[in-house]
Amino acid sequence: MTRTIAADGGAGRLALLLALGAVALAFAVAVATAIGDYAIGLGTVALAVTNGVGLTDAAIPRIEESVVWNLRLSRALVAALAGAGLSICGTILQALLRNALAEPYVLGVSAGASTGAVAVIVLGIGAGGLSLSAGAFAGAFAAFALVALLSNGATSGPNHTILAGVAASQLFNAATSYIVTTAGNAQQARDVMFWLLGSFGGVRWPDVQLLLVVVVAGLAACLWMARALDAFTFGDEDAAALGVPVGRIRLALFVVTAMVTATIVGMVGTIGFVGLVVPHAARFLVGPMHLRLLPTAAVLGALFMTTADIASRVIVAQQTVPIGVVTALVGVPFFALILHRSRPRP
Amino acid sequence: MRTLLPSLPVAFAAAFVSTAALAGPTTYPLTIENCGRSVTFAKAPERAVALGQNSAEILLLLGLADRMAGTAFWPNEVLPEIAAENAKVDVLTVEFPTLEAVLAKQPDFVPAMLVTLLGPDSKVAKREDFEALGIPTYLSPSACSTVRTTKDAYGARTSLWNMDLVYREIDDLARIFGVADRGEALIARFKAREAALRAKFPRKEGLTFLFWFSSPSPDGDAYLGGGNGPSGYVADLLGGTNAIRTEADWPTLGWEGIMAAAPTVIVAAQVDRKRWDLDRADNKIAFLTSDPTVSQMEAVTKKRIVVMSGAAMNPSIRTLYGAEEIAAQLEALDLP
Repeated sequence: MTRTIAADGGAGRLALLLALGAVALAFAVAVATAIGDYAIGLGTVALAVTNGVGLTDAAIPRIEESVVWNLRLSRALVAALAGAGLSICGTILQALLRNALAEPYVLGVSAGASTGAVAVIVLGIGAGGLSLSAGAFAGAFAAFALVALLSNGATSGPNHTILAGVAASQLFNAATSYIVTTAGNAQQARDVMFWLLGSFGGVRWPDVQLLLVVVVAGLAACLWMARALDAFTFGDEDAAALGVPVGRIRLALFVVTAMVTATIVGMVGTIGFVGLVVPHAARFLVGPMHLRLLPTAAVLGALFMTTADIASRVIVAQQTVPIGVVTALVGVPFFALILHRSRPRP
Repeated sequence: MRTLLPSLPVAFAAAFVSTAALAGPTTYPLTIENCGRSVTFAKAPERAVALGQNSAEILLLLGLADRMAGTAFWPNEVLPEIAAENAKVDVLTVEFPTLEAVLAKQPDFVPAMLVTLLGPDSKVAKREDFEALGIPTYLSPSACSTVRTTKDAYGARTSLWNMDLVYREIDDLARIFGVADRGEALIARFKAREAALRAKFPRKEGLTFLFWFSSPSPDGDAYLGGGNGPSGYVADLLGGTNAIRTEADWPTLGWEGIMAAAPTVIVAAQVDRKRWDLDRADNKIAFLTSDPTVSQMEAVTKKRIVVMSGAAMNPSIRTLYGAEEIAAQLEALDLP
């Protein structure tokens, strides 16, 4: 796989790849902004966007301007950022845990997020002041803290961490079920399900701002530790021999991924598949070195999620479809193609 | 009671004529307190989009079909008496709609039945989204009373739910549309039906009802109507109590627990969705009468099983219809 991009002259190709990706992403965001259940002319869409960024001050209907600017554009940007964030986290965790099946929820954050969300909806923890997102974020982080504790501050090796993640997930899933079955009602259980399945329907500009800060900061931190990440792929002992402070870097990266994942889960629910497969697709394109892999995964993830969101809005008109369902439906054929093309030849 | 139903239109007309003159016309701007916030209406809505079956059915019962631009989220079939009116209004989707689809109808008012459709954490729409566009919203008082997280004006479900929350909703909606007289007539009609049931079914010590909504499988736990929910209210209206005494609206219980509760009457809900076999009332009855253990319950051996629409177990106008449905069957039973 690594021969797809040569060590020498790889920088130029990487730049070209990222530029292409950025153009495709811009196109996807434009499409996402132009189409929807509310039929709005392309001219009006363009004016709404230029009005929004302050370039023009055209008089267009208030509802149409709001649909384009507040609903579609902010949603497309959150989708792109969430896709980028989940893909980065998947990449990091696959390297840290040396496991091709690792994904952003492996540290129990989705189970923790469910518990947090259910606690807010069903038990009323936070007495109205705490929003569902905040509850989900708190739960996600509590689960991560438990995993960190169970795996001795994440220093005891990949397998140990994965097992700790499994244990934490089971515990928090049990807590969620307990709360729902004893204190909740059928409607609330349905509410929680609907909420957790993931949707970009509720996001607005403040979400874009928050996610932008978190994802960019997360990406920067990961790029900063990219060399150490490369070392991790050879195993902890080799990494230590290369002078990498294994325990500290591992914990720092776990905290970064938990932070980013918890923010995304709290905002848009648990969207599966993206964080698992986009890193593999990126590795197929640019090889395993993280300085190249991370930005590629980020752009691919953003592109993929934006496309999936467009699909989710087109598949069933006028109705919200859980985005996680669409990411899998749209993503699996692509992934199958990659698997097929990258299989070892005799 | 069943023989009374065909004469309802007559009763309706009578109630309408007698109270039509009582309520004055709404003066705008009108400000309404709803679920802890004030909503102001500059004029009567002309293009309402109702989110949720109960909101839509109330507007239709108020004769407002011509002022509705659309509806969404219909877990059950529409009430037969308003089916013709409902056919005049666009159904966006029977599921959760998108905010864009709602806005595309150019609504000037959006009432909703559930917090998932219009609550602070809703992924469909938030009240702020509509307010930013100058579109007033309304959330069902029954919906915000079930959320224990917010200290809303209507109280939590620690006490028995009753139709007053629905009457408040009808009155609010009627005043918003400037048809307060129709609202009063509708409420009077419902209250009369409530009173008729109360008069007909005096308190009966030891009469308990079990409300079985559905079960994923016969050997699994059953979803029941809880103590303080609409099911408890139906039991109360018919002179009894809910055999299940929980604060939760929808507790889940195994059959051993149900047998221990020893209900006098079992209410098998007819749930129109097709999620599980036991959604259907006849499948429930088949299980109750054939299971070697459950069939030993006194309610089963004495054939005290009645059928009610599952929709009545949700806090809505349908709750009263459900009580009447049971009432019509109660007389034929061999009650202790």
